[in-house]
Amino acid sequence: MDKIIKTLSTLTIFFLIWHLIVTISRIPSYILPNPTEVFKAMQENSLSIYLNSIITLRESFLGFFIANLISVSIALGIAFNKNIENTIMPFAITLKTIPVIALTPLLVMWFGPGECSKIATAALICFFPSLINVLRGVKSLDRDLIIFFKAYSASKIQLIRMLIIPSILPYLFSALKVSSSLAVVGALVGEFIGSNKGLGFLIISNYYTLNTPYVFATITASSLLGIIFYYTIHLVERRIITWTVTID
Amino acid sequence: MGLICVDKLEKYYSNSRLLAVKNLNFTIEKGEFVSIVGPFGCGKTSILNIIGGIIDDYKGSIMINGESPSEARKKRKIGYCFQKPNLLPWLSVLDNILLPQKIANIREGNEKAIELLKMVGLKDYALMEPYNLSGGMQQLVSITRSLILDPEILLLDEPLSSIDEINRSKMQLKLLEIHKKTKKTTVMITHSINEAVFLSDKIIILTPRPATIKKIVEVTFLQRNEMTMFSKRFIRYVKIIKEELINGQDN
Ligand SMILES: Nc1ncnc2c1ncn2[C@@H]1O[C@H](COP(=O)(O)OP(=O)(O)OP(=O)(O)O)[C@@H](O)[C@H]1O
Ligand SMILES: [Mg+2]
Repeated sequence: MDKIIKTLSTLTIFFLIWHLIVTISRIPSYILPNPTEVFKAMQENSLSIYLNSIITLRESFLGFFIANLISVSIALGIAFNKNIENTIMPFAITLKTIPVIALTPLLVMWFGPGECSKIATAALICFFPSLINVLRGVKSLDRDLIIFFKAYSASKIQLIRMLIIPSILPYLFSALKVSSSLAVVGALVGEFIGSNKGLGFLIISNYYTLNTPYVFATITASSLLGIIFYYTIHLVERRIITWTVTID
Repeated sequence: MGLICVDKLEKYYSNSRLLAVKNLNFTIEKGEFVSIVGPFGCGKTSILNIIGGIIDDYKGSIMINGESPSEARKKRKIGYCFQKPNLLPWLSVLDNILLPQKIANIREGNEKAIELLKMVGLKDYALMEPYNLSGGMQQLVSITRSLILDPEILLLDEPLSSIDEINRSKMQLKLLEIHKKTKKTTVMITHSINEAVFLSDKIIILTPRPATIKKIVEVTFLQRNEMTMFSKRFIRYVKIIKEELINGQDN
């Protein structure tokens, strides 16, 4: 409760200062709109912002899902066969050195102006950080526990289900958290380049018409999207992982 | 014909370039309680893991009732208690004990696990997660788990080493009782000579690495009341073993 009050008062002060600066210095609205204008834009366009949020959320979720599915599969492969690591890691690292954002125009060309290219951008941007985290989990597998499972002649599937997945869960969740925010960024960038819907499109199109309050309103919605995405994962994590130690 | 026949066993770890076991021969009869003692790092755990079918690349031969160790393992004839408790932190004590059943796809109730937990005095801890237990208790859970599939052979790697003196004596009695009752062939590694003499029918004394037989001592007590640390016979056994271990170190 205390925390909420603190946050609210900080926000109020922030908006107040913003409001004062804008009123006193008479900055034109298209450069820095008054917070009240932003709220008004939000209200007036709430339906459009909501509908476009859903689109961006779907794109970023699908990209996020695909990227993590692939990175978990690769990590599991590496758990059973170290050679896979030597084959795949050079590609993954090369991919990482290319700024993924710079690839977006190509992705739009290849996957079309529809949702696919946004999903691809989101997936590509999530992939490497996710892989690194999940791999750390695989590397930290307890050798003695693997021997225990071997002693009782567990099958590969049992080994994955009963030992490997639970062992890497804490690492998987940090992969999910990192990639959740990145996925939203990826989807937005994809929408900047070529799109007629989504929050990224709203931002760009209103930027061209100098409807800055609307741009601000959409930016707020985008960051809310990221925050909700992140905290949903955080909450699920807290419910599932009860056995690890946290320092506090 | 023994139940476990080890013949000219040799184990070389190519990754660490270490010869852990060399020219090892012994047999273990059905129903025997055998202890393995030897200096640390001499190769005891390696021997136990080979008997248990966990390490497959070795030279020489091991037969368990006419089968290879890995066949015996696959038929789930062996119960394992490792040097570390090896409990899964995300499962309760009870679920950890049931894990071998789950892996073997045996659908039985919890009754047997509860029964075993009662026996070792950990029933109240059944639903706790392992990190709430002391190291000694975790080891006890691991011993309990080795019994859940009712194996013919028990392999115990320093099962009582992290348990306090008093409870250790109690657990030794418990192990003795379990052995008397079930007549499971048991191979136990221990660093405690007293424990070995108290529990075993036979004690295998190993040399420093590479492990090979220094001496095999058959332990027999004529009467139950000789089985205390203060009886003459007991002390003599302890002395023999100690001497063998000490002059093994010198070589
Ligand atoms: N997986 C392995 N890879 C390489 N070397 C190993 C491996 N396991 C054991 N060794 C080596 O083999 C030797 C014997 O090890 P082992 O664990 O069998 O000894 P131990 O008698 O059980 O020792 P302790 O009393 O300390 O438990 C040691 O020198 C060890 O370094
Ligand atoms: Mg050992």
